[in-house]
Amino acid sequence: MLDRFIEKLQAFRCDGQSIRDWSVYQSESRRLSLGTKDRQTGVVHAPLTVSEGCGARYLLVWSDGRISRGSLERRQLDQDADSALAQARAVSFEDPDSDQVQGPGDFPEVDLHDGGVARLAGGEVEPLAGRLAAIRQVVESGRFRTWSGSFGGSEATARLRTSRGLDLGGRGTSFGWHATLNGEIGDGFGARAMDTDQEFEARLERLSDLASRLSLPGDPPQAGVMPVLLHPNVVENFVLGTLLGNLEGSGVVNGEGFFRKEQFGSQDPVLRTDLNLRLDPLVPMKSGSYRFTAEGVPANRCHFIENGRLVQPVLNLKYARRFGSSPTPVPTSLDTVHLEGPPELTEKQGFEAAAGGAMVLSVLGAHTQDASSGDFSLSSPQALGIAGSEAAGRLRGTISGNLFELLQSDHLTLVRFEGEHTPGLLVRCRFDPK
Amino acid sequence: MIRELEPLTGLAAELIRRAERAGVSLIWRAQARFACQTLVRNGSVESATASSSTGHGIQLFTSRGHTILGSRDDFLPQPATTLLDHLAGAVGRADRLALEPAEICPLTPLNARAIPDVVPEFDSIDLPRAGRRLIELERELRGAVPGAGIKLSYRTDLDCWRVFRSDGTDVLFAMPRCGLTMIASSNGGEGRNTVGASLHSPSPGCAWDDEYLVRFMARAKAAARLALALPDAPAHPAGSYPVVIDYALAKGLAHEAFGHAAEADGYRSSVLAKDGRFEHGRKVGADHVTIVDEPVENDHAWQPFSANGVRRERTVIVDHGRLAGGLSDPWSAGPGGVALSGAGRAESFRNGPVPRMTNIRIEVDDPLPAPGRFEDYGPEQVRDLLANAGVFRRHPVVSFLSGYSGGQVNTSSGDFVFNCKAIYRLSEGGVEFFKPAIFSGSMFGALHSIREAFGPLELDALGYCGKWGQSVPSSGGSHRFLVLDDHPTVRLGGG
Repeated sequence: MLDRFIEKLQAFRCDGQSIRDWSVYQSESRRLSLGTKDRQTGVVHAPLTVSEGCGARYLLVWSDGRISRGSLERRQLDQDADSALAQARAVSFEDPDSDQVQGPGDFPEVDLHDGGVARLAGGEVEPLAGRLAAIRQVVESGRFRTWSGSFGGSEATARLRTSRGLDLGGRGTSFGWHATLNGEIGDGFGARAMDTDQEFEARLERLSDLASRLSLPGDPPQAGVMPVLLHPNVVENFVLGTLLGNLEGSGVVNGEGFFRKEQFGSQDPVLRTDLNLRLDPLVPMKSGSYRFTAEGVPANRCHFIENGRLVQPVLNLKYARRFGSSPTPVPTSLDTVHLEGPPELTEKQGFEAAAGGAMVLSVLGAHTQDASSGDFSLSSPQALGIAGSEAAGRLRGTISGNLFELLQSDHLTLVRFEGEHTPGLLVRCRFDPK
Repeated sequence: MIRELEPLTGLAAELIRRAERAGVSLIWRAQARFACQTLVRNGSVESATASSSTGHGIQLFTSRGHTILGSRDDFLPQPATTLLDHLAGAVGRADRLALEPAEICPLTPLNARAIPDVVPEFDSIDLPRAGRRLIELERELRGAVPGAGIKLSYRTDLDCWRVFRSDGTDVLFAMPRCGLTMIASSNGGEGRNTVGASLHSPSPGCAWDDEYLVRFMARAKAAARLALALPDAPAHPAGSYPVVIDYALAKGLAHEAFGHAAEADGYRSSVLAKDGRFEHGRKVGADHVTIVDEPVENDHAWQPFSANGVRRERTVIVDHGRLAGGLSDPWSAGPGGVALSGAGRAESFRNGPVPRMTNIRIEVDDPLPAPGRFEDYGPEQVRDLLANAGVFRRHPVVSFLSGYSGGQVNTSSGDFVFNCKAIYRLSEGGVEFFKPAIFSGSMFGALHSIREAFGPLELDALGYCGKWGQSVPSSGGSHRFLVLDDHPTVRLGGG
């Protein structure tokens, strides 16, 4: 299908212009998912779903230098190429920094495909039966009122061709699950293959333990600045989300993020000098691993923040040129993003260090914060008090402060939670119990 | 896009026939969507895209109430019939996963169309012209608010659906959504803040509509000025305070605090239900407060029929402080004990519909006047409204939460949060300016604490709602301003 489309593209003329350079990234996928809503699996509001999809993203550089960039659906690729290309020409625009098309290069081999997940995506749902039974067992034994969640598996093939001779292909699978107990606290997993039964059950057990602790009343501390242990889920949802959002190249170049262009490459640290943020998309079977981006940039290991200093933003081809640097790999999932720093505390040591404070398990409203300022004011209805060296009863409250000030602070400590890729963060910030 | 859906009658008949032969019933959803967007930054076009998305979803139901949904991104007959046959075989094996059946309430076949008059305008969208227009508007904004970084976008979206059912239902509707959005960033000094403004129109011609532009530019300039001022603002102290909120925040309160909990697919865990059934008549708010959800013509979230082919009805959720009705679809109305309201919405043909809000509003009996345009009201003018109404005699200081920047709710606990763009402490003595802070608490506490309302209903506060991983347009509002007394379960900040 892609080759036929490219033949038409190469022959296409519009307004007296031909297409001088082009890059087309096509993907085709099939997916199966199954939801559970309030204990009811596969019910009409969370049905067993199968889907097939095919589409492409394109960059066209016309002979007069104008640019077209966009997406194509299956119908346009397969049957309607000429009108799709005419539409692309009609919305073309001038953008001299977007005329870049990748040629052949060295691309890493990364294992991204799992036969079991491919069969699941194709309709073999039997592996889900045991997982569902395990969750139902945990719900019964923990006497949880309800649970909701989902399982999903997909298989996709992708191919990238460019006018400069790049022709790359690949295939991958993706699996994920998520479960929420009592409509309050949830956990899940995502990768290119299913987690093992042992890993699955251990994660469920930890979730069940936290949900049980939330049912116990806590002893609210006095409002004020105190040790607050952010659970890895909060670190991913809020901290890494905010950091990566501010590292996005277009925001940096256009002065819209917290970090300023001139700070990259400078020896002046913007965060604590032992903090690193790096990407490794070459680890086999991770959700965030890949061989090449849709633009044809090879996957590679890189640092965005090293020793508290800004190394480079996340740069696509266009913003790499505007920034005056090379394009970078792009984080696509947090399991390949590594937040590293001072020696990590164990979970037990973390609780000891946070005694008298709170562990925040989830936050409401992370998406409502102004990421460019770093100021935060978040409701944390699922928090646990910390007494002695363990999590105690439930707290509700609000945490507030400035994220970048926390990431510069001497009080910042990383805490390793069992089974979690991202560390928890022990910080000192304001907690106002309700 | 309508043209893509018109010729599907024959294929629908064939799919219904095959479903019948397989002993299952069918809801077939065909969608054709065409979206254009252009973005201007620093005086030039940053991007311009036109994209279409067409496809269909086949949802089958067995006589025992099991269901399966399959989708494909074209309208070719042979792949569609193959998909249906595959699904019919798979749904019969639902017992392997102990899937739960659901009973559907009786439905009346419906043949109807709803195509707004502006739809033909989508055939002549000129995106390069829109880009030039944005450059002019950006220049005007930069002149009016020097020092602000400005990002300006124009979007058009025509979302067309055709829904067929085995019972003969055939519903065709088109939902036009257009508008301008501005994001302003403070560029100087140490701190940095970002503030946005947007305004909906059903017409792709909005960028040339003088009346629309006057309102949009007033909002955009105010947002850009706010972005410049925020880095120097102090944090508002945390606590329970009397507050005044604008209609966009009132929409957030109605949507997050009550709307989601009124959606009938969640009654097995919602705080508005007991044993899975809606608690009609339960006292949940002040006697003079009513919450209504209904599709509003020309609105960002207007949807006249559900994705199940049921007409969308007006629903009074709270009637003068008491629970009155829920948002339901054919599977949740009966078990939840509420009337069928046709609230099933889906992001795309790939998704199963779930009960969702459309335009939700808080109405207060006997609102006080707030003349002029909403855009005429800055913090000083709001302070004058409160002073004239005698609010400062009850509360010497009131915190004014201005502008909505998103929210979230836990329908099991009734905890809600939403954030504003700025806070002003109003008193007889003046106005103090603070950074935004989260407004959170118990939905019941918030609805009980509503006291005064000012001005007519303003219903165009827009957003997108992400329930169950599906993003659909949402909107709503209230009177221009609502005053809420302080309540121990409702807090502002910290931060």
